[in-house]
Amino acid sequence: METFVKAAAAVLIAVVLVTVLSKNSKDMAVVLGICVCTMVLLAAVSFISPVVQFVQRLQELGGLDNTLVTILLKAVGVGLISEVAVLICGDSGNQGMGKALEYLASGVILYLSIPLLTELLELMQTILGEI
Amino acid sequence: MEIDLIFKIAAIGIIVSILNQVLSRSGREEQATMTTLIGLVVVLMMVAQKISELFELVKNLFNF
Repeated sequence: METFVKAAAAVLIAVVLVTVLSKNSKDMAVVLGICVCTMVLLAAVSFISPVVQFVQRLQELGGLDNTLVTILLKAVGVGLISEVAVLICGDSGNQGMGKALEYLASGVILYLSIPLLTELLELMQTILGEI
Repeated sequence: MEIDLIFKIAAIGIIVSILNQVLSRSGREEQATMTTLIGLVVVLMMVAQKISELFELVKNLFNF
């Protein structure tokens, strides 16, 4: 809880500092924004870590294939980083770069899901074959 | 969570901004540009370490 309060305070202070810096030094303001996002994400990931362990434990209990959970986790990781990076690009006025990164992230997630989709397709073929 | 880094970067940014203005107004445009670039490089080096740490953590956590 203390980490969350610290992070909230840091973000609020950083917003003011970025506003001050952006008047004279936009580049520094962008770098400060990136720094704050990185640090808050570091704190967030440290909280997500036990949740991921719980999901892996659920997967073991449920007897699910390890591949499925791995794909899911990778997709979450890609989405997390790309979302923040795209918004930082938007903040600094580079929407084009952000959009390109968004498309890349979508492509990567689709690429990661290919094994899942292949398995689903085979399952459907099996079901349709039986019918 | 290291809040010090935020204040350090903000302080460097403000100092660089002030130096830039002072040097520009005294006619030393090139030195002003150099100061800005050096400040930017220093700050980027500080931030790059944190970004690397984040990516490493995400890589380990999400099984990349």
